[in-house]
Order: sequence, then C-alpha cells, then structure tokens
Amino acid sequence: MGHATSSDPNIFILPDLGEGVHEAELIAWKVAVGDTVEEHQTLAEMETDKALVEVPSPRAGVIASLNGREGEICKVGDVLVTYEGASNGAAPSPNARDERSESRDSSALPEAEREDAGTVVGSVSNDPIMPSQGGKALATPAVRRLARDLGVNIDSIAGTGLAGRVTEKDVRAASNGAPGAPASAPPPSPSGRGPGRGATATLAPSQPAPTYSPPPSLPAPAAGQTQRIPFRGTRRTIAARLRQSIDTAVHFTVMDEADVSALDALRKQTAAASGESVSFLPFVISAICRAVKHFPALNATVDEAAQEILRHPSVHMGIATDTEHGLNVPVIPDADALGVLEIGRHVAQLAQMARDRSIPRERLMGSTITISNVGSYAGRFATPVINIPEVAILAVGRVREGVVVRNGGLHVGKLMPLSLACDHRVVDGAEAARCLALIVELLQSPEQLLAPARR
Amino acid sequence: MPIKVAYQATIEYMQILDEQGGLDAKLARDTLTDDQVVMLYEHMSMCRRLDEIAFKLQRSGRLGTYPQNMGQEAIASVALAARPQDWMVPCYRENAALYLHGLPPEMILLHWMGDERGNQIPEGLNITPMSIPIGSHMLHAAGIGWAARIRGDDQVAFTFFGDGATSEGDFHEACNFAGVMHAPVVFICQNNQWAISTPRSKQTRSETFAQKGIAYGLKVRQVDGNDIFAIFRAAREAVADALKGQPTMIETLTYRLGDHTTADDARRYRDPAELEAARKRDPLIRTRKYLESKDLWSADQEEAMIERNKAQVDDIVARATNIEKPKTTDIFDAMFATIPPELARQRDTMQTNSLGQFPQQETLRRGATAHSPTQSPAHA
Ligand SMILES: Cc1ncc(C[n+]2csc(CCOP(=O)(O)OP(=O)(O)O)c2C)c(N)n1
Ligand SMILES: [Mg+2]
Repeated sequence: MGHATSSDPNIFILPDLGEGVHEAELIAWKVAVGDTVEEHQTLAEMETDKALVEVPSPRAGVIASLNGREGEICKVGDVLVTYEGASNGAAPSPNARDERSESRDSSALPEAEREDAGTVVGSVSNDPIMPSQGGKALATPAVRRLARDLGVNIDSIAGTGLAGRVTEKDVRAASNGAPGAPASAPPPSPSGRGPGRGATATLAPSQPAPTYSPPPSLPAPAAGQTQRIPFRGTRRTIAARLRQSIDTAVHFTVMDEADVSALDALRKQTAAASGESVSFLPFVISAICRAVKHFPALNATVDEAAQEILRHPSVHMGIATDTEHGLNVPVIPDADALGVLEIGRHVAQLAQMARDRSIPRERLMGSTITISNVGSYAGRFATPVINIPEVAILAVGRVREGVVVRNGGLHVGKLMPLSLACDHRVVDGAEAARCLALIVELLQSPEQLLAPARR
Repeated sequence: MPIKVAYQATIEYMQILDEQGGLDAKLARDTLTDDQVVMLYEHMSMCRRLDEIAFKLQRSGRLGTYPQNMGQEAIASVALAARPQDWMVPCYRENAALYLHGLPPEMILLHWMGDERGNQIPEGLNITPMSIPIGSHMLHAAGIGWAARIRGDDQVAFTFFGDGATSEGDFHEACNFAGVMHAPVVFICQNNQWAISTPRSKQTRSETFAQKGIAYGLKVRQVDGNDIFAIFRAAREAVADALKGQPTMIETLTYRLGDHTTADDARRYRDPAELEAARKRDPLIRTRKYLESKDLWSADQEEAMIERNKAQVDDIVARATNIEKPKTTDIFDAMFATIPPELARQRDTMQTNSLGQFPQQETLRRGATAHSPTQSPAHA
C-alpha cells in the first residue's frame, strides 16, 4: 500500500491527507483524551496547503493521547493519536517526539514488517551498519547513535520504552553502569536542551530533519528568553505571498519627494467645505489613477501561466493595510472613476472593515496596482514589495516640513516622500521614473485631482 | 445555384424521472420494473455509503487518492441495460455500474490502495481495469467492439468518460474509428460539469458534448444523468443500435457533488450556490421520492437499508484491508507470463546491496530470502 500506517494498532500516524502532502496545520481537536470514539469519527480538523480536511479515526477505541497543539504544524508520519490498549504489552511512551521518530523508522519494526515498510517509503536499500535481527534491540537511529557515541552496546540493554524499545534514558543509564536507574543518569542541563537532549537528540540523523533545531554544540538559549511562536495562519499566508513576489517579480524602486504644501492647503479647505476629514491618501490615489492613464504599463498584472501581461482599462486600487491580524490589501474598485471625497469615504470604510475583520472576500481581490502608506509613524523612503500579480506599488512616507528650493530661493514646505517599486520585467526604468515625476507634478498642482480621473 | 443545407442535426434531451420524483409514464413504459427501481435505489445507496467510507479511509491513511463518485450513481442503470456478455470499459466515476456488472466492490478499494490485485478482473467478467490516463480507454472500447464485430460475437462495448475527456485526441480517434468501422460501441460521456477545476464553459464552445459524436457518424443522445429511467432507456436503445452496426454517444447531464479527488478542494473554485442547486438534483433523492409516491418504499425500509448498507460496506472494507499484504517482489509478476532474465535478476537482487548484479557478486542481505528464478513462476 502506498500509505504509511503504523504497525501498532494503538498508534495513528498522520497520513498524507491529499496527494504529496507533507504536513498539515492542526486547526482543532474534535475529541479529548479519554473519549471513546467510533471508527470514522472525526478526530481533528487540519489544514493542508490545499484544503481544510477532517481527519477520521481509523478504528474504534479510547483516546490515550493527542499529539500536537492547535495551531501547530504536524508532519505526515508523526504520531497524531494513540489509543488505549494492550498492544505489545506496553503503554505508549509519553514522549511524543520519541514516538514520532520511532514510528517513522522502519528499522525499529520487526523484520517481518520491514519488507512492507520498504514498499511504503519506496526504498529497499539496506543499511549495512544495522546488525542482524537476532537479539537486536529496538531503538531509533538517534538513540543508536547516542549508544555508539557513549560506547554502549545497545543490544545488551533491556529497553523500557514502547514495545521494549531502548530509549535515550536507557542508554544513558547503561552508560553510567546502572541499567534503568534514573538516579545515575547525568543531570539534565539547566535548560533541558543541552547537548544530546531534547529534540535534537531524538531527530534521526539519517532522516531529513522535520524542523530546524540548533546543533548540539551551540549554546542553547536560557529558558524564559526565547518565545516560540507557531508560524501559521495569516502570518504564513503573508510570508508565502511575499516570498512568491520576491521570487517572481524583478523589483526596482524609484524615489522622489513631492512638495505638498499647496495640497495640504487644498485638503484642509476641502475638509472644511465638506465637513469630512480628508487625508493625503485619497489625493495620492487620485494622482496614481491619473498618472497610469499615461503609463498603462504600471496598471497591469502578469498572467504567469499564460505568459501574458494584462493591461487594465480601470484602476482597482489595492490599499496595503496593517491590521493587528496582519497585512491586508483591500481594494477600491474603479478608483479612477471616483472623486477624491468618494475615495476618502472608501478608504475610511475599508479601514473600519479591516479592523473588525469584516472585509468581504471579493473586496480583497482584483486590485491592479497598490498603494502603501508606510510613513504614519516614521520612515521616509521604502522599497515596497509588489503585490503580485500586479507590477507596481507606491509607498507613501510621512509628510514632514523641509526645505524646498524654488526659483533659487529657500522655502519651508511640506514634503511627501514617494517610493515607486515596479517589476522590471514589465516596466522600464525610464517609464517608472516618468510616471513618478507625473505623480509628483499632479500632487504639486492638486486642483485637478478633485474630479474623477475617468469619466 | 442556390446555397443548400448540406447537413442538419438536432440533439434530443430526455428526462423521464424529474427532480421531484415525477415520472413521464409514456416514456417510462417498458423500461424499469418496480423491483428494478427498488434494487437500483438500494444499490445506489450502498454505493454512496461505500464512497463516503472510501473518502474517510483516505483521510485516515488507509487508501491512496480516491475520486468520489457521489452524485453520479444513476449511471448504475447502464449495467441493467447491458447484457452479461457486454464489455464495460471504464474510467473512475462509474463504480456503481461496474459493481452491478459483477465487479467485486473491494477491487476498487484495492486499486486505490495501490494494490495490483484490484486490477486483476476475475475471469469471465467483461470489465477492463479502471483507466486513469484520461481518454486512453475509449480506444480500447473501439477495438473491443471492432473485434466483436469481426468475430461475430454478440457483444457491445460500453465506455465511460468525462466531459473533460472529450478534449483529448483519443476521444475523437475512438469515435471516428467506431463510427467508420460500424463497431458496436456505446460512448457514455458523464458530463459532470467539471474537469478538476475546469468548468464546462471553458472546456468546449460546443452547445452540447453529444454533438461531437455527430461528426463521426454516431447516433447521439443527451439524457438527464441523474435519472435512472432515462439512462436505462437510452442505453438499451444504444445496445440495439450497436448490434446493428450503429455506435451511439450518450451525454449524461449530471454533477460531481464531491471534490475531484481526495487531493482536491472544490470549495476553492466552485460557487457554493451551484453545489446547493446540484444537491437538489441528487439521483438518490428523486428515486426515493418516486418510490415513496408509489408506495414502494417506507421509512422503515429506509432505516433497515441503512443498517444493511453499513454492514455490507464494513464487509467490503474488511475484504480489502484484511487481504494478505502484497510483497515487494509482486511488481515483477504482473507483466510477463515468463519473466525475462534481466528482470528475474533484478527481482532476486533487489533486497541486497547489489541490485541488478549477478547473484554470485552480491552480498545477500541477512535474513532476506531471495527468490530463486526457478522457484517462483510469475502468476499471469
Ligand atoms: C492524459 C491525462 N491528462 C491529464 C490527466 C489529469 N487528470 C485527471 S482527471 C482530469 C480531469 C478529467 O475530467 P473529466 O473527463 O471531466 O472527468 P471527471 O473527473 O470530471 O469525472 C485530469 C485532467 C490524466 N489523468 N490523464
Ligand atoms: Mg467532468
């Protein structure tokens, strides 16, 4: 059979939930330790990179242990659930990590089952170091290595682990000359993660390590300092998208400042006349909408599959929005058909929806270009990451007072830093620079921005 | 000279049992008997249960990738129109028809467990193994039909495929071949509206899939694919035509209620409203409504059947899982009646450090009993 199942009926290892799936995020347990479950009853909800799936129980029984916390990424092949039962006369070891390694390690299985294990992992090559089965101890490769390192003959140890497996503790005890006596085991290092202990020691050296663990020679951080946060959910989605953008688009950024003194005055005037608060942002959006009419290469998306650049007649403005739940890019559709006040209302509405997480799905899709307000707190210029499949993003820095040279004289004006990043595969350098110049020019003579760019 | 019409065609659509369980009595005449409808309903319900359990077996690591058949069970009706000697040349979404034609259900589970024994169709059953490469098997059906015609055998080949498969060249070759050779073949296109994530609208610009058969001289039909009466009637007429040398293509309009396979998540590309609407056209629902309206089915019967199905499916699963585990060396046994020497050498040395080398050179793995070439004749 092409799927990994444990030979121990009391152990359920996480199977490939799709096709070629290697891991899944544990979303929620649907049962608790001690529960009696039926065959096919849902044990957990998990999310693979393809789907949210329910994991059913392979058998009826009583849950002995659930391995994994909600939010944790579980590897296919790891022990997910154990059942109560007297299989092989041993209770499952409480150390989930140990079991994980053991269940994946075909050498720990009785010889009769090993041939099948060979078909499961698609490898029938034999490890010449392994001694023959007669009187051979059951142990994970990591424990075997520890035994070798400590000069202990592992086959002479009576294992205390699951199904008589020799555990790390057994090896250490034997090395101290007192088999099985915990008192004579070397004291654990203060962090509990010193050399040879913890996750590092139980990772099988011949297997690809499921996660990175510091090599034992590195000083382990003192307990209580490092916080381990599961890399999951929105954070992981954001990470994947950003990685994809950097791997796909050829980023370059042009930067300039606009003297927005006149715009500042206009914005206050507009606010006073309309009774609404009006920020710079709607004006910048309006300027982008206008500028890309002259530089359509920037209001485009790339269809990688079809190897086509799609130039869009309308501007659907993505607004990179920082929320406590992570980065969002809600969209103002047809922003080029809106006046500044309307754009302002959209911005305010989206900001509110982003905060209470009520942005409908369709408002998170379909943008053709993105603006990012990076300078609310600090920061002038930036090298923003393109929201692929788009090809351009404008980062707006914090407006500050600065010296402006006009007609040979020095003036104090309001300066807005602008950083325009483009995908060089689609947009030429000169094109980006000229587009940014036009945006600057529009912001410096802002009256025309009040009306929609497209009518 | 005026322009004349060189060819004109129409495509008939047939529905006999509607979504509410209402029957067109005239069209239904001489089709399914009451007993047959009850039997089909029970059979389709059992198939649904088995399908659900197969899905769960995959999710708990006991089955490989599995394509659910859910929603397409009415295809079973074809097997009632077929005669025992007729051939079934399937892909993977007509399990219900295969079981009814005699295939032991555990074989489909074994197939998806990656066990070759799931493809070793029992002698005497005219069913070919499921074909996963889209389209390839329609050609086999054309060949089987042609062979039957040449030999004068009283046989028809039914072949099943999806809407997406009609975009494969093999489909067109098979239709052309059957058409021009007057081969007794019935092409059944289960149009379930999707080919993985490709919707019907992106699959073809044709108004129907059936009309593709016209180009090759096939008789074509479009039927409600969730209607056991319409499928039965169309299939039975197709058998009669096939035996006269006229192949048919039947397009069954149905819907894939599940994901494409267990490796897919259709929620990513399918409108939930579309799915909801399709659920209302479920073949089980309308068949049950019909039976109830004719007092042929009761809540008690339903309850008893559910229990029966559970037990039966458990039994099928047990037969698939309790089978002796395949051996690694089995992979050498399926292809050749007499194994060639190079393969025999690989088989005998595969568990050593010297794969493919001559036995004299190998360091035999401790404890592993290598096959001796003379000792283990391949079972063909
Ligand atoms: C020759 C070939 N190409 C591609 C695939 C991958 N594939 C598997 S199923 C499928 C879609 C088939 O759609 P359809 O014919 O409508 O059948 P359905 O799955 O909807 O029943 C594809 C493209 C394949 N199996 N074989
Ligand atoms: Mg289809």
